[in-house]
Amino acid sequence: MADEMIDLTNCDREPIHIPGLIQPHGVLLVLQDAHLEIIQVSDNTEKIIGHPPEALLGKHLSVLFDTKQIQKIQQCLTADFETINPLDLSIKHGNKLRYFDGIIHHSDTVILLELEPKKVKQKADFVDFYHQVKGTITRMQKSVTLREMCQVVVQEVRRITGFERVMIYQFDGEGAGCVIAEDTDLAIPYLDLHYPSSDIPKQARHLYTLNWLRLIPDVNYQPAPLIPHNNPLTNQPLDLSLSVLRSVSPIHLEYLHNMNVTASMSISLLQNQQLWGLIACHHSSPKYIPYNIRTICEFIGQVMSVELANKEASEDIDYKMQLKSLQTQFVEALSQSKYFLHGMVQLQSQLLNLVNATGAVICSGNQFIPVGEVPSEAEVNALLNWMKPRLHHSLFATRSLSQDYPPSESFRAIASGVLALEISRVQHNYLIWFRPEVIETVNWGGNPHKPVEVLSDGSLRMSPRKSFELWQETVRGCALPWKPSEIAAATELRSLIVGVVLRQADELASMNFELQRSNEELDSFAYIASHDLKEPLRGIHNYANFLMEDYAETLKGDGVAKLQTLVRLTQRMEDLINSLLHFSRLGRAELMRQPVNLNELVQQVIHTLSITRPQSEIEFRLPQTLPSIECDRAQVNELFTNLISNAMKYNDKAQKWVEIGYIPQEDTSRQPIFYVRDNGIGILEKHLDKIFQIFRRLHGRDEFGGGTGAGLTIARKIVERHGGRIWVESTPKQGSTFYFTLTAEAIT
Amino acid sequence: MRTAPIPLLLVVEDSNEDFEALQRLLERSPIQVPIQRCVNGEQALAFLHRTGNYSDICFSPGLIVLDLNLPGTDGREVLRQIKQDDNLKTVPVVVFTTSNNPKDIEDCYRYGVNSYIVKPINFEQLKRDVQTLIQYWFEVTTLPEHLEY
Repeated sequence: MADEMIDLTNCDREPIHIPGLIQPHGVLLVLQDAHLEIIQVSDNTEKIIGHPPEALLGKHLSVLFDTKQIQKIQQCLTADFETINPLDLSIKHGNKLRYFDGIIHHSDTVILLELEPKKVKQKADFVDFYHQVKGTITRMQKSVTLREMCQVVVQEVRRITGFERVMIYQFDGEGAGCVIAEDTDLAIPYLDLHYPSSDIPKQARHLYTLNWLRLIPDVNYQPAPLIPHNNPLTNQPLDLSLSVLRSVSPIHLEYLHNMNVTASMSISLLQNQQLWGLIACHHSSPKYIPYNIRTICEFIGQVMSVELANKEASEDIDYKMQLKSLQTQFVEALSQSKYFLHGMVQLQSQLLNLVNATGAVICSGNQFIPVGEVPSEAEVNALLNWMKPRLHHSLFATRSLSQDYPPSESFRAIASGVLALEISRVQHNYLIWFRPEVIETVNWGGNPHKPVEVLSDGSLRMSPRKSFELWQETVRGCALPWKPSEIAAATELRSLIVGVVLRQADELASMNFELQRSNEELDSFAYIASHDLKEPLRGIHNYANFLMEDYAETLKGDGVAKLQTLVRLTQRMEDLINSLLHFSRLGRAELMRQPVNLNELVQQVIHTLSITRPQSEIEFRLPQTLPSIECDRAQVNELFTNLISNAMKYNDKAQKWVEIGYIPQEDTSRQPIFYVRDNGIGILEKHLDKIFQIFRRLHGRDEFGGGTGAGLTIARKIVERHGGRIWVESTPKQGSTFYFTLTAEAIT
Repeated sequence: MRTAPIPLLLVVEDSNEDFEALQRLLERSPIQVPIQRCVNGEQALAFLHRTGNYSDICFSPGLIVLDLNLPGTDGREVLRQIKQDDNLKTVPVVVFTTSNNPKDIEDCYRYGVNSYIVKPINFEQLKRDVQTLIQYWFEVTTLPEHLEY
C-alpha cells in the first residue's frame, strides 16, 4: 500500500498543464492581446509554416496572414471560440500556399493560436458533418441499455477514425477504471479489465474535464519547446491547459509505450461536471486525426454524456419501480404511526429491500432494534460514534468498511457495506443498513499495486505500469456497491421520516400547550372548589357556635355536646380540603433544586416537631452526618417532616426512637438512599401498598394523634417530583423504615 | 380620647352567613362601627362612586372590607378600580377571603391592598381576627380624613 501512496503523490504533483513544450505536429503562436504581436512561438515554425522563430518574435501577426485572415482572427476573438474553431487559415510560403486548421483561445492575458497543417484546402462542411454524425446519434439513442450504447459508440468512433482499438472506460466511485465496451481487431481484448485509479492522476482528470478531446498522433515525438520558454509578459510558464498541442506527460508516454500504443486519442465523458469515463482510442503506429474528424468524435462524446443520464435512468427501471412502491409503503406506515419507530418496526422486510441490504439497525434514543443480520449493539454503537463526524448531508455510505474502520474487520462478513442515515442527532435517531462481504475476483490490467520502481541508488521512482497482462486479484472486505438509486431511496426515506418527526413535534407542542392550559384551569379549579366548599362549611361552623353561645342554657349538656361534635367535624373537613388542595398544588409547583444541607434541615425539622409535640419523649438518632444534595428545600423539608412526625406518632413503646440516615449507592456519583426508621407499631404487610394512597388510613381517627391521611401521599408526590422512589419495609410491632431517593435511578 | 365620629365600614360580602358572623362579632366589639354592606362588586363601586341608588349619599367609608370571590365584578377588579381612582385610593382596603392562593395574595398586594386576611373556619380564631381588625384600623391607626360632603 505504501508504494501506491508514493506513486499517487508524485504523479499528482506533476505540473502537466505547464510543460513549456508542445507536440510537433503543429505550431503554437502566442499573441499579445490587443496588438496581435507575436511574443512566443514553438521552435518548429520553420518546418511547419516556413518561417523561423526569430523572423516571427516581436512581429505583428500580419507577417503571416493577409488582412482578410487577420480580420477573421480578430472577429473570432470577440466571439465564443467553441463555435468558431477551427479557422480555415493559409500561409504563403514562397509561391505555395500552406493550409491550416487554426485553433484559437485565450489564456490569461494572451491569445494562443495553434496551427495544424491540412493536407488539402478543405472547408469544414456542415452538411458533411451532419451526415457523419446523424446515423451515429440515432443508433446511440435507439440503444436500450448503457452497455449497448457504449458498444455503438466504440464501433462508430472506430469507423470514423480508423483506430485499431476503441474502448470505453468507466470510473467507479474510487476512481478506478473498468473497460465496459471495446471494438478492436487486436488479439488481446481489454474488455472487463480494471485499472487502478492511480493510472490517471488527479490533475490529468481535471484536464479531461476542461478539454473534451485529446490527441497524441505519435508517442515517439520530439517535443517542440517554446521560445522564449516563459511567457515574456509574466515571466511565468505558459498555461497550456486548453491547448490541443500541449506536450504529453513523459509518464503518460511511457505508459502508452508499455501498452504498445503509438497513437492515442481520448474523448471525455462527463456527467454532472464529473469525469464519468473516457472513450479511449489506441493505434500501434503513428496516426493523425484531422480537426474536423476530431470535432465529430468530440460531438459524439458530448451526446453520449447527455445520454448517460437517460440510459442510467432506464437501466434499473424495474428495480426503481420496486423502490418507489416500497417508499409508498413507508409513507403509509409512517404517516399513520404516532412515532417514527412504530412505523419502521412494522416494515422490517421492506426496510431491507429498500436498499437491498441483509441487515439493518433502527436506533432511537436508547433503543436498538436489529433487523436481519447485524453486528452487536456495542459494535454498532462504536461504529456510529466513528461515523458521526464522517456523515455528509446526514449520510454515510461505504462498500468496504474495514478499509477505513479496522475494528469492523471482525464483522466484515456481515457488514462490509454500510449505509447510514442520521435522522436526528439530538434524539439519537439513526438508520443503518448492512451488506455482507462479497469476495470478488477483479481482472486488473496489470498488477495495480506495483507502480513504483526502486532505482539502483535505492530511491523510489514512480513509473507507469509496465504490464498490462491480466492480473487477477481477489478483493476482500468489499460488499456490492450501493447504487445511486438506493442511496437516493434512503435519502428520500430520511426526508419522509423527518416530515413525520416534525409533524409529531408540532402535535406534541400543541398538546403541551393544551396540557398547560388545562393544568392552569385545574389549579384555579382547586382553589375555587375549595373556596366554595369552605364557605358553607364556615357557615355551619359559625352557626353551631352561635347556637352554643346564644342557646347554651336551653340546649343543656347533651345538645351542646352535639354542637361541639358538629364543630369538630367541620374542622376536620377543612383539614381534608386543605390537604387535597395542597396535594393538587404540589404536582404543579415548580421544583426549585438548590444545594441543601440535609443535616441542618433534619435538625431543624426535629427541633420544630419537638416544640409542637413537647409531650413525646423520643430519642432521635443520626448515625451519620447527612450530606448536602441538590433538591427543593421546602418540599424536602415537608417530606422529612411528614416521615419523622409519622415515626413519632405511630409508636406505643416506652422507649421511642427515630433514626434518620442514608445508605451510599454503589455508584458513588449518585445520591444515596435516605431512610427514616422507627421502633413504632409497624405496618402489616397487606397494608404496605395502601399506605401511600390518599386519605387511606390504617388507624382510628383519634388514635395516634389523628391526621388527614394525606401525609404519605404528599411524601410520595415530593419524591416523585424529584425523580426518585419511596418504599417501606416494616415488621408489625417492631417498627418501620421508609426509604427514598431524590434523583432518577440510572438505567441499567 | 377620640373625638371625631367613627367612620363608616364598607363590607363587600356576598355570603349572608359570613356577613352575619362578621356583623355579630362587630356588634359585640367595644367600638361601635357603622356598617354598610354591598353584596357584589357593582354595588360596591356604585356606592363608592355615588351612582345609581347611592347618588344621594354624602359620605365615604373609612375602611373597606372586601371579599375576593364575588358574583359578577369580583373583588380583584373592585380592588383594582379603587386603587386606580385618585379619590378612592386613600381609603384602606382589607381583603377578607377564603382564598389562600399565593397568586391572589401576590396580586392583591401588587394592586395596593392594605391588608390580606384569610377567613378562618375556627370560630375562636374568627373572633380574634375580627377584634384585631376593628381595634387595629379604628383605634391604633389614624385613617385619612374621611370626606363628608
